[in-house]
Amino acid sequence: MSILVNEQTRVLVQGITGKVGSFQALVMKEYGTRIVAGVTPGKGGEAVHGIPVYDLIEEALASGPVDATLSFVPARFAKDAAIEAIENRIPLLVLSTGEIPDHDLLAILHYAETRGTRVIGPDTPGLVSPGKCKVGVHPNRVLRRGSIGVVSKSGALSYEVCKLLSESGFGQSTVVGIGGGPLWGTTQRDVLALFEKDPETRVIVLLGEVGGTMEHEAAAFIREKVTKPVIALIVGRAAPPGAQMGHAGALIEGEGETAEKKLAALKEAGCHVTRNPTEILSFIKKLGGKSR
Amino acid sequence: MRLLEFQAKRLFQERGIPVPKGTLVRSSQDLEGLRYPVLLKAQVPVGGRGKAGAIRTVWSAQDAATALRELLKTSVKGCPIRAVLAEERIEASRELYFAVLIDRANRTPLLLASASGGIEIEEVARRDPTRVARIPVDLCLGPAEHSVRSLASRLELGDRLGEFRTIVERAFGIFRDLDATLVEINPLAVTAEGFLALDAKLLLDDKATFRHADLFRTLAEEGRALAPQEKGPAESLAEAAGLTYVGLDGDVGLISDGAGTGMLTLDLVQDAGGRAANFCELGALANAEGMREALGAVLANAAVKAVLVSLIGGLTRMDEIAEGIAAYLGEHAIHIPLVVRMAGTKEEEGRATLRAIGVETFDDLPAAVREAVLRAKEGRCRSS
Repeated sequence: MSILVNEQTRVLVQGITGKVGSFQALVMKEYGTRIVAGVTPGKGGEAVHGIPVYDLIEEALASGPVDATLSFVPARFAKDAAIEAIENRIPLLVLSTGEIPDHDLLAILHYAETRGTRVIGPDTPGLVSPGKCKVGVHPNRVLRRGSIGVVSKSGALSYEVCKLLSESGFGQSTVVGIGGGPLWGTTQRDVLALFEKDPETRVIVLLGEVGGTMEHEAAAFIREKVTKPVIALIVGRAAPPGAQMGHAGALIEGEGETAEKKLAALKEAGCHVTRNPTEILSFIKKLGGKSR
Repeated sequence: MRLLEFQAKRLFQERGIPVPKGTLVRSSQDLEGLRYPVLLKAQVPVGGRGKAGAIRTVWSAQDAATALRELLKTSVKGCPIRAVLAEERIEASRELYFAVLIDRANRTPLLLASASGGIEIEEVARRDPTRVARIPVDLCLGPAEHSVRSLASRLELGDRLGEFRTIVERAFGIFRDLDATLVEINPLAVTAEGFLALDAKLLLDDKATFRHADLFRTLAEEGRALAPQEKGPAESLAEAAGLTYVGLDGDVGLISDGAGTGMLTLDLVQDAGGRAANFCELGALANAEGMREALGAVLANAAVKAVLVSLIGGLTRMDEIAEGIAAYLGEHAIHIPLVVRMAGTKEEEGRATLRAIGVETFDDLPAAVREAVLRAKEGRCRSS
């Protein structure tokens, strides 16, 4: 078991003929992901690393079902591509693209909800169940199969933590990047709920950052519903208030949005809070065999 | 992009939201022909102008000239005042709060209203949350009639419902048509003649520039001309290149290929006893050219004693990033220690490129942080 994706997941790549799309499709394929098709309007009939390319998703679906789509479509066309995926009832839409206008995201997320498509992102590295399936851009070598569930706003921070864990023999059940915000299709809380139900996940690592209030909602959920150990790290302790720290969502606007306040809320909810990835590893070692 | 008050009011007026009569004043000549009393409001893109004394009421031409001279010598939160909006003073029977914004937690546009206008809405909410009415709106449908009536009832508007509906619809129109993330009218004055926006705050989504290229560019240029921001050389270079850059007051220059890893590195530098000179993230420019530009920007800050490049690529390819570092070092002889931590996609290729030009890389982030903090300290000792 793992959450959201597994060995059977059939993956579509939107924007597969672009520089990033074609490179990452290759890296995913090498990782063992079942990439069944790619879509780029106007490039139908071509192939990328042996993957057939179609003009339309409906044409791709004619040769077999698709469980998840990963979109590298540039921001100004991202909404159209997302609506196409939603209308074709693809259950999981991973929006890798950053810089999508807020109003387009509001439309995408609202429409996805009414049609039953789960959106991960935008501005996300995607997700991976190590050894099974990667619908994302995580560097393959930092990953290892295991039982730690990782949910992160930042892609790079999740790579840091996975690298450290994997090198010490602690693998991951699924690593989910929810994106840098400030709008999210899937929240920390949503992923925590999935990890709580997943029998393969024994320990959860929550990687958050300054800005917004999502970690407080996650803390409330953990207090009420999560029985598995949760280890939390919030980055941006040294970030000045009012500064945009790279992610659109990482901007301290209110008192509750600092790292200290978030860490305090998570600690009160029963999480083990840490100051850096090394402390996450130390605590996981302490939990011992439970998390291997 | 945050518009200046007078820019926002111009858009309000074009779209049928009444505003007080006003003129933009940049020198004492512009004061001629005004009828007193007049409000002089500094045009700076920051909040808290009232508290900072940047909004004055003047009763005569002489008062106005004196107040203007003072204002033009002042800065508000680091923004020097270059222009002032001179506006007629409105006698309002009531001052309300009204805004259209994005409720990020619920992923929907939101109407926000309160009978307590004129003060910050966060302050109103803190004192008494029941005084703030919040109603979500469907982006396509726009404000529903019953929502408008519900707000009007909460605001006890009585027979002024029709006038209020017009304001709500037009404010939502601005929000939707201009890709705004916030349209705020605080206060919204109720007078015998009608409703007026006494202040206007408008945030436009830079990510939607492709849809409004001419308008956004014109507004941004006008804003820069009327309210120039004081920027150091590093910040100016980073902005021109399109990099994320936040100036800090330490001496370890930071460059990262992701926001999360950048913030982590910033925290680790602090925990190791060092002080970062900046936060710089490549973001969408995580390629050779972005890396080259970032080194130029960070090194333009004379306070920098060591540079720490913290990289863990997923989408970012280390082979490309290494080319950028090599290109910069090929063009510039730098005398400041450069510490590179490199891991992730195509790391072997990246390492090899850097090794060929004599730059060794770290794999362990905490070790790289310790090294950079130490080298910055050595730099401080040498220069003192």
